[in-house]
Amino acid sequence: MPADEQGETTQQEKRPRSRLIVRLAAFLVAHSILVSVLCCIAGLISFLLLPVLAKNTYVSENALMPGSANSMFSSQDVQKANRFADDIINGGDAKASGIEIARFIHQHMVDVGAESYYHKFHPRANNFQPLHFFSSITNNLEMQDNCSSTSFGLNSVGIIRAPRGDGKEAIVLVTPYNSQKITKTEAFSLGMAFSVFSLLSQVTWLAKDIVWLAADSQYGEYAAVDSWLKDYYNPAFLSDTGNIGANACYEENNHHLDVIKVEGPKCNVYKRAGTMAAALVIKVMDKHEMEERDSVTIYAEASNGQMPNLDLINIVHYLAVHRQSLRVRIGSMSYFLKAAWLKFFGEMLQQIGIFSKHMNPKWKIDITSADYVDGTATLASSVYYQALGVPTGSHGAFRDYQVDAITLEFSPRSSLNNENVRYSFLLRGGRLIEGVIRSVNNLLEKFHQSFFLYLLTAPHKFVSVGVYMIPFALLIAPLPIVAAALFSDNGNSDAKEIISGSWKWLRAAKVVFMIHLWAIIVSLLPYLLFQLPLSTAIKLTSVWAALAICTLQMVYLILGTCSYHCGWKLLKSVMIAAASIGLSLMSIINFSTAQIGAMLIVPMCLLVQPVRKETQAGIVLKVLSVTCNLALALVGFPPVALSIMKGMFEDSGSVGISAFWEWTQILWTWNSATYLYLLWIHLPCWVLCLHIFLYPCTRRSSKA
Amino acid sequence: MAGIRGYWILAAAAIAFRFLLFVCFPKDLHLGSRPEVATPLTSLRRLAEGYWLKQASMSPYSGSMYHGSPLLLSLLGPLTKRVEGRPPHFYCSLVFVIVDFVAAILIRATGKKLMFSRYKSLQVLDLLKPVDASGVVDSGDFASLVYLWNPLSIVTCMGSSTSPIDNLVVIMAIYGACSRISSLAAFGWVFATHLSLYPAILIVPIILLLGYGLDAPPSKLFLLKNSSAVSFGASSENKVKSGASRPTGNSIQNFSWTRVLHFMLWSFVWMCYVLFLCSISLKELGGLSEMFKKTYGFILTVEDLSPNIGVLWYFFAEVFVFFRNFFLIVFHVNILFMILPLAIRLKHRPCFLAFVYIAISSMLKSYPSVGDSALYLGLLALFSNELADMQFSFFLFCGYIGVSLLSPVMHNLWIWRGTGNANFYFATGLAYACLQSVLVVESVSSMLKHDRTLTKMVEA
Repeated sequence: MPADEQGETTQQEKRPRSRLIVRLAAFLVAHSILVSVLCCIAGLISFLLLPVLAKNTYVSENALMPGSANSMFSSQDVQKANRFADDIINGGDAKASGIEIARFIHQHMVDVGAESYYHKFHPRANNFQPLHFFSSITNNLEMQDNCSSTSFGLNSVGIIRAPRGDGKEAIVLVTPYNSQKITKTEAFSLGMAFSVFSLLSQVTWLAKDIVWLAADSQYGEYAAVDSWLKDYYNPAFLSDTGNIGANACYEENNHHLDVIKVEGPKCNVYKRAGTMAAALVIKVMDKHEMEERDSVTIYAEASNGQMPNLDLINIVHYLAVHRQSLRVRIGSMSYFLKAAWLKFFGEMLQQIGIFSKHMNPKWKIDITSADYVDGTATLASSVYYQALGVPTGSHGAFRDYQVDAITLEFSPRSSLNNENVRYSFLLRGGRLIEGVIRSVNNLLEKFHQSFFLYLLTAPHKFVSVGVYMIPFALLIAPLPIVAAALFSDNGNSDAKEIISGSWKWLRAAKVVFMIHLWAIIVSLLPYLLFQLPLSTAIKLTSVWAALAICTLQMVYLILGTCSYHCGWKLLKSVMIAAASIGLSLMSIINFSTAQIGAMLIVPMCLLVQPVRKETQAGIVLKVLSVTCNLALALVGFPPVALSIMKGMFEDSGSVGISAFWEWTQILWTWNSATYLYLLWIHLPCWVLCLHIFLYPCTRRSSKA
Repeated sequence: MAGIRGYWILAAAAIAFRFLLFVCFPKDLHLGSRPEVATPLTSLRRLAEGYWLKQASMSPYSGSMYHGSPLLLSLLGPLTKRVEGRPPHFYCSLVFVIVDFVAAILIRATGKKLMFSRYKSLQVLDLLKPVDASGVVDSGDFASLVYLWNPLSIVTCMGSSTSPIDNLVVIMAIYGACSRISSLAAFGWVFATHLSLYPAILIVPIILLLGYGLDAPPSKLFLLKNSSAVSFGASSENKVKSGASRPTGNSIQNFSWTRVLHFMLWSFVWMCYVLFLCSISLKELGGLSEMFKKTYGFILTVEDLSPNIGVLWYFFAEVFVFFRNFFLIVFHVNILFMILPLAIRLKHRPCFLAFVYIAISSMLKSYPSVGDSALYLGLLALFSNELADMQFSFFLFCGYIGVSLLSPVMHNLWIWRGTGNANFYFATGLAYACLQSVLVVESVSSMLKHDRTLTKMVEA
């Protein structure tokens, strides 16, 4: 077959006609500047239009049937919750001992007829595992290393076996509390969970086991839940010869638990209950200012921008709004709520909407300015927390095991000290939790009907992957086109290059490859830094930067003159190709990071030009391009970009070197892919842009 | 013609890098469980399972775990045993590193032979100066370095799969044919066919290589040159030159049947030998008929539909059962269809023909892995001088990098995160197949273009 095509290509040289796709590509490449400007602007505008394009959510899975049954949660249960919380607060004051609370919870669990046990865990040291998001198998051996340490946390776990189930599925309730210093709100969240738990122990309709995990959060909520899940999914086989350490650990476990003087037998034997269908993390927040209604805030972002199935959020929203008349909130950025330019843009959209309605009543772009600003602020927070790649709560631990989980944070309409407020608050919260559990209990399969890839612009509005990919695709579409244009342009102009044929780009590729290799080394440096006896963040950062610059110098030494003899156009084209591969890869791993990164990188990559390049254009254009390059290079520098982001998105963000170090530390201790993106794609791209900016155009500079 | 400076240093560095990888990260990489690296045919884990079954005097093929050759079981099986204090598959990895090194050396030797023949034929055609003015790369050194430093071949070597051995025997067959050692060519061909079936089609280029000799410009060029030399042959110096070139031109024309016959004889001997060894090793454990059913039958009927980087698994998971046999025939005949036209068009460049065959079969085979790409990319570099003007080289380079990074991410999204589905992963498989076909088409067309420019130069 290739032989046959060959016959055609001989004639192609005579005939100008070629295949349509080739002609189209040639057309795009020929008008690359116009196309890239148009695409970039269209990408940015359509990204700003996302709140307008958001659709209303709907419960997609029919089996869920939210709110179809009457709530059984009654005032008796409220009293139970109240009493439980009071007992804990009073008991906590008296003894102030973590084990006492665990014991108290355990006792109540046993009293309602549930199976119960203690789960002991050790706080895990922060490991540097950059490829964690990628590896599927979690090693259970490493966490048993620090068994000898005396610090440990104690979770108490209760399981209700479903009367109508086969014990193969479960729903998990999590209530984090600090065992060392329990607060009133934590006590109320425990009380709320307990009242629901005791109610569920009596109902007949339960088809999935209920697990209540009272997580000891003295080492962080996430650590407690994560270690429990790790043990849930990685059973330790005591018969294994290699696990002598594990045996010792268990003995020690028993020794510590002797302190509690447990009543029943087997209360530290780890028990399980089927695969998890969903998990709810319950928290209570106390408020002091008055509000109209009780409210519930939903946190859903797990590691690397993963979200739970949209149906889970849908049923919570549906039950909260339509059954319990709670106000549902999701996080939003206050900067955007106040921003004047956004308000202006919203007004404009509103006007356009009214105008388009005049033109054709079928066009529905009716969005009010306030709605638009709200939607944008919510969208910004959604994008920001997904982009960080750090889970917003302990529900993130579940997502690593493909369990859909969200955190529900209840807050009353005024202070919880008020008896009436407390009563109605507990009643509504309990009913909501019961309703959600009952709904999930109806599920026949895993959550799969609704979306996993979405951005929220309001609790009841979402942008699905098919929509939000369009702005991103428009934004990065210029990259391959410009790369191709530069590549072909170079081929025409510099015909007398040293290497013949089409393999000239190998030199430029070598430079780009070396810079990327350098970036990988830099990303691994923190691993070494922690072996050094350095304490302060500023010292660590400066050592890191110094080492990075040293290795960069070494890279330039290795490259020698090669780095300045490959032609800046080729270099730019290879760099752009690398950046576009990196961005499209990142858009699959974590879309939000790629979106924010693309907004920084794409203009920088497209506009960069050697400062010493001689152009026919006037001085004004030249100055403009140089200032543009400098400004973009400044904004693109990772620490600067981070501090701008922080200033914009986080309300109480401190800016400085130590803040930067803490930021990076958070990113890599949470094994966020954003860290890898920042150092493997963004940083080398920035360095290469500077390299091109300072590129000596030897032939022309000699003339000038 | 001078070799690449510091070849041995670079080669040693590649070997050291492999050692470093499997000493430093014995457990972290999990490459052996990646579908891109280890297929049901080449996975070392399956081989260990087969060896265990055989030790327990059961058929190694029972339970549909192992589908490789029984000879590999006897060779590698004892090495798969776990040794205390050593990373798993330590000795096997050692063997694979050595195998990779030997393969690279053989590629280098083949490249030297190709360079020499190119030099000779260009000299005969009086084209040495105009063609080589643009600079010559020592293709042997270059190709062997490409093979050693190719990330795909490093990953295959680390990934505890047996494809390095498959690649070695294929290279052995090509080397044997290039240096006209019939016995070695026959050995390589028989073993390659025995191990993975698809190299059977290499018999065409091997016979061409043994019959006509190494790659050269089309034979009509020599005739043209001779005739022009004769027509201008009044002057004495031209006469001398034509006298010198005539035997060369004739030797290219001649098809040496004796070598081909030797090759046939040797292949027969080796085939009998392989079957004999297999029957000994499978005595009372199922015999040869089960071996054929579980190895060749497994390859041809595409029984295992677990995802890989090819396109067949997805297709046969979707296809209706009553169409299955039809499509099996269609897909396999697809490879066979290519053989004849390509052989006619490229008969003057049999070594390049072998590369094209390997590339096509690794695109359409039932259980492809990145090890196959490592092989044909290494062979591609043998023709770096002829393909200097290849189009889309940068596009292909970016495409290979993009696909090889995208494929594991898509797999992760589908299998572990549960947010994607099979289509995501299959899309990268499709893109990969497209890239390979572009590579084949472009390389063949630029090779033919190279021949045409030579013709123009001779005519001018």
